[in-house]
Amino acid sequence: MSATDVESRDPERAVAEVAARGLSLELGTTDLCFVMALYVRGRRGQLASFREDQLEDAFAHVADVTGSADCASGQVKSRATRAIGRLRDQRMLSRIDGLGVVKAPEYALTRLATAIADYLLEEEILTRDSLTVLTRTLGASLGEVREAARAARAPEDWRAGVAVPLEVTARDLVAGIERRQRGLDQRHESFQAEIRALLEADWFGAVERCQALLEETSRTLRELGDLLLRDTCALQDTLQDIQDAAGGAGAEEAERAARRVADELDRIVAWGGARQGAWSEYYQYVHRFLRDVVRLDPARTLTQRLREQLAGQAGRSFSLTVAAAPKIRLLREAPVPVDDTPVRRRRARRDREPAIEPAEDPQEALFGDVEAALSAGAPALSAVTEEIAAAVPNEERYAAAGRVAHAVAVLGRPRAPRARPWVPVSGDVIIEDWALSAKDDES
Amino acid sequence: MTLGEPAFSDLRAVIEAEEFPDVDLALRSGRHIGRDDESWYAFLSDAQEQLEAFYRRYGCELVHKTDGYFYLLPSGDKLPRRHLSAADMLVGQALALLYLDPGTVQTGGVVGRDDVLAQLDGILGTDAVIRALNPKRKRYDERVAQETARRKAAEATRRLAGLGFVEVTAEGAIRLRPPLLRFAEPARGAGSPAEALAKLVARGDVVMTEDEGEAERPAGDDEAAQPAPSGDDG
Repeated sequence: MSATDVESRDPERAVAEVAARGLSLELGTTDLCFVMALYVRGRRGQLASFREDQLEDAFAHVADVTGSADCASGQVKSRATRAIGRLRDQRMLSRIDGLGVVKAPEYALTRLATAIADYLLEEEILTRDSLTVLTRTLGASLGEVREAARAARAPEDWRAGVAVPLEVTARDLVAGIERRQRGLDQRHESFQAEIRALLEADWFGAVERCQALLEETSRTLRELGDLLLRDTCALQDTLQDIQDAAGGAGAEEAERAARRVADELDRIVAWGGARQGAWSEYYQYVHRFLRDVVRLDPARTLTQRLREQLAGQAGRSFSLTVAAAPKIRLLREAPVPVDDTPVRRRRARRDREPAIEPAEDPQEALFGDVEAALSAGAPALSAVTEEIAAAVPNEERYAAAGRVAHAVAVLGRPRAPRARPWVPVSGDVIIEDWALSAKDDES
Repeated sequence: MTLGEPAFSDLRAVIEAEEFPDVDLALRSGRHIGRDDESWYAFLSDAQEQLEAFYRRYGCELVHKTDGYFYLLPSGDKLPRRHLSAADMLVGQALALLYLDPGTVQTGGVVGRDDVLAQLDGILGTDAVIRALNPKRKRYDERVAQETARRKAAEATRRLAGLGFVEVTAEGAIRLRPPLLRFAEPARGAGSPAEALAKLVARGDVVMTEDEGEAERPAGDDEAAQPAPSGDDG
């Protein structure tokens, strides 16, 4: 799996896969020593694989060295068989002959086993020399890639001449620098432990040695930082040329590969800055400690006295005095009241208060209107009804027509022949019409 | 400003400096300002002469220790003062011991909360630590008392951080600072600790406490300062 594949994987899914497969690694010291022994023997003897007797021999040697071989040879052999089984179960050893029972098996260390052995054996630390060699090699490699990018015409040229060399050679070299950086980080941790051990062993006598250690580490970090800044500038320029060329030719894969290498170079430079910053803080702290604590208390009398003081052997207890002025009271600005009443529809009152109003008799009013119509000389009931019923809503006209007829009968002098005509009044209402005689006629 | 020329010509220039309000408030609240407080410490170093005279008028002394820290020591009645509680003193002395321990050099002066109790436990013993941090209880359940002791130690550390003796990092670790050496003052010098203590008492730097539990206050009671008799807080 390439680095790109790893970067594109979803971490949760990757973890879930490992959990689902139930993978685990359980290696004791003897197993680790066995793997180491096989790895070293393989490298020394140029062995690509091991026969069973070679494995047993290596295990017997490991048991001898680790002091766990104080038993009969048959027992060592059976222990070797079990150890081989454990390594095979944990994918540290794989059988490579594929011949089953036909032939005695041959085994090889897996990639996992060689990686573990590599880690345990490696003493790779970033030094001025190793960094110079690595950056120079990386520069030469990137120079070749740039030439290939300038000459590339076909997509295959971009892939074979630019993308693949960037993915493999350049990234391997960058990874080599990073690996050594991690080695240097571990070395620094051990420096810190060494300074502590020196002070614990020889309080005042260790000052010079501690200062020398601090100076040496600071100088190394400073040199590495300067080298990284200087060399990576040139490397980034070359990568920029490659990116530009790839971008101009539309070779996306090559452009991506160049960008990734550039990002990794940035990370390496950032490491330099971060470590210098962290080390600078530590450097200052230890220097201050050596100056203020160790040099001023060469016999560690202060520590002893303070222990006695804390244990109550130095007399009565005491308490430090400190200033305790209350905080200044700052008046808060008066907040502007905000009307945060929720917006609601105004609620109408459903009930009305009763009010005193002058009484009105509708019948009297009707009679008044009919009287007026008759006085005006209305010739027929339909004329009176038309005049009065037109003023009321449509749905009330039928009832109004009845009331008008009643009023006319009371107030007027209708003449009703046997055959009375039906006359429409005010829209939908049709009434039997009466002719009206004037009141003068009666008199 | 040229080399050798004072950074501040007079008190007015000091007061007009950008750092003055924050530094002044911090000193008055009892905070110790060390080399780690870079700009504040540089300001105090530059303005030391003017500020010493300034605070003298409030009945205070601006103390500068060669270990690399400043603090304000009220000796008159104009500025309120208070005394650290028994728990604060206990934890402060344990932290001072850790500050002097070469073991903390490996971690760059950063220790865990457990280290403080381990230090106390190693010197006083578990029972004495629990009793010292549970002073008002005559009978106690061991589990509850231990939990209380841990809580009291954490509260004391927080109060000491407020006074600038330590810094509590975002991860909850404790960064030890030079002002912790103030807890070791009675143990310093060529004379006997009793003589050193008497001098410190005479200066008003420390007070003797008869009862261990006397100065104990509830948690978060930092503002419970001893009021100045005149009530004038300056």
